[in-house]
Amino acid sequence: MSEVRLTVNGGEHVIDVPVGASLAHVLREELGLTGTKIACNEGHCGACTVQIDGVPRLSCIMLAHTVEGEVTTIEGLREHPLVDAFVRADAVQCGFCTPGQVVSAAALVAANPEPTREEIRHAMAGNICRCGTYPKIEEAILSWQD
Amino acid sequence: MELLRPSSVEELDGGVPVHGGTEVVPLLREGLLAAETLVDVRGLVPRGTRDGVIGAGTTLAELEVDPSIPSALREACRLAASPQLRNMGSLGGNLLQATRCWYWRLGYPCRLHGGDRCHARDGEHREHAIFANGFCASAHPSDVAAALVALGARLRTNRRELAIEELYRLPDEDDRRTTTLEDGELILEVELPSVQASVYLKAMDRRRWSFPQVGVAAARVGSETRIALAGVAPIPWRIESAEDLDKVTPLPRTEWKVPLAQALVRRALAAVD
Ligand SMILES: Cc1cc2nc3c(=O)[nH]c(=O)nc-3n(C[C@H](O)[C@H](O)[C@H](O)COP(=O)(O)OP(=O)(O)OC[C@H]3O[C@@H](n4cnc5c(N)ncnc54)[C@H](O)[C@@H]3O)c2cc1C
Ligand code: SF4
Ligand code: FES
Ligand code: FES
Repeated sequence: MSEVRLTVNGGEHVIDVPVGASLAHVLREELGLTGTKIACNEGHCGACTVQIDGVPRLSCIMLAHTVEGEVTTIEGLREHPLVDAFVRADAVQCGFCTPGQVVSAAALVAANPEPTREEIRHAMAGNICRCGTYPKIEEAILSWQD
Repeated sequence: MELLRPSSVEELDGGVPVHGGTEVVPLLREGLLAAETLVDVRGLVPRGTRDGVIGAGTTLAELEVDPSIPSALREACRLAASPQLRNMGSLGGNLLQATRCWYWRLGYPCRLHGGDRCHARDGEHREHAIFANGFCASAHPSDVAAALVALGARLRTNRRELAIEELYRLPDEDDRRTTTLEDGELILEVELPSVQASVYLKAMDRRRWSFPQVGVAAARVGSETRIALAGVAPIPWRIESAEDLDKVTPLPRTEWKVPLAQALVRRALAAVD
């Protein structure tokens, strides 16, 4: 076991986990933040996306012990207008990819509040939706300030 | 497993280097890489671009928007992997990524794992190589490496300076490795010559976020036009001219890559002309 210090959604945590534990594992199993999903567990799908200092990363392939910076998960974005925008645009089917989608989208609109469709497609390409809600996700991001 | 964070290259003493971990972590989890000690090298490897020298710790996301680097490298980074992976993955780590051959990833005892047969040659190989595929038919997955080979990049490690082409070797009976990097050797910097024009073109099975089926980089460097390909051989593959594509040795289900490579090479050459 080895100590990890994490700042998650503004709160400080000190946890003991073995080296090799992923950030996704620590968030879900140690901190109970189960909004971050694990689907492929190998970097392909984006379900586990979190922000580190505002930049989207994949928590399933990130060693908890190497995290430097503040972690923001979907739980930290509860009040973000994108959440409503996803609901308005009906951009959710099974919902499994949605937390990761919102985390990526929130980073995008923070850097670029009015992205074009092409910019949305480039920035959101790492979030796979098996239900195929892509057009609605695009609509949600285009209308998030409405 | 332990994690070390040495503060100088001199302190390095064994262990598996990890930078972004996008390759190391999945390989550890699958049991394809064994490590008692991981060494976080982020404090040792330079990051950022200065006068044509790029720190090997620079992320692909930083490079995809860097106006000071040749377009072939910028474009190879922009088209590689996904946004999250480009935010995490380093240039040095990208050059050292392992094959995506599914037999290798699933742990089949194939030649690259030290065994005596190439399961892909007799089995499923539609994503595999069309050059140098006699021993191992894997297709090198790095867009970035192909771009750097075409650009004539040189690498500086903690031990030597080498042309990027010397980083790679074809695996054979006596030595199954695909790189010449030694234990304890770290890639520190990538140096680029001045380039008049360059381009990277990539065919994928979907419009974005996919490994290269075939990637073609072309660059005009001095009086020379250099061409290198991703996804066609077990290592990044340099060809001297479009005619070299007549020397391919495709497998039954990789023949489709040949016309694809021909078309991309033709377009890439036209673009740097
Ligand atoms: C799902 C997925 C899709 C991808 N798609 C593409 C793609 O389309 N095109 C493409 O080009 N790439 C692709 N990649 C590869 C990706 O770009 C690399 O995994 C990433 O750049 C590796 O960087 P890293 O810092 O995370 O490396 P790490 O995982 O930290 O390390 C990778 C390897 O390099 C070694 N290492 C790391 N840094 C150094 C150093 N400075 N000196 C010596 N050794 C070092 C490590 O020991 C390890 O063997 C993909 C990867 C994944 C997981
Ligand atoms: S192509 Fe190479 S990695 Fe794949 S099965 Fe054959 S020997 Fe193994
Ligand atoms: S669970 Fe992390 S990318 Fe799929
Ligand atoms: S809503 Fe089901 S995977 Fe996206």
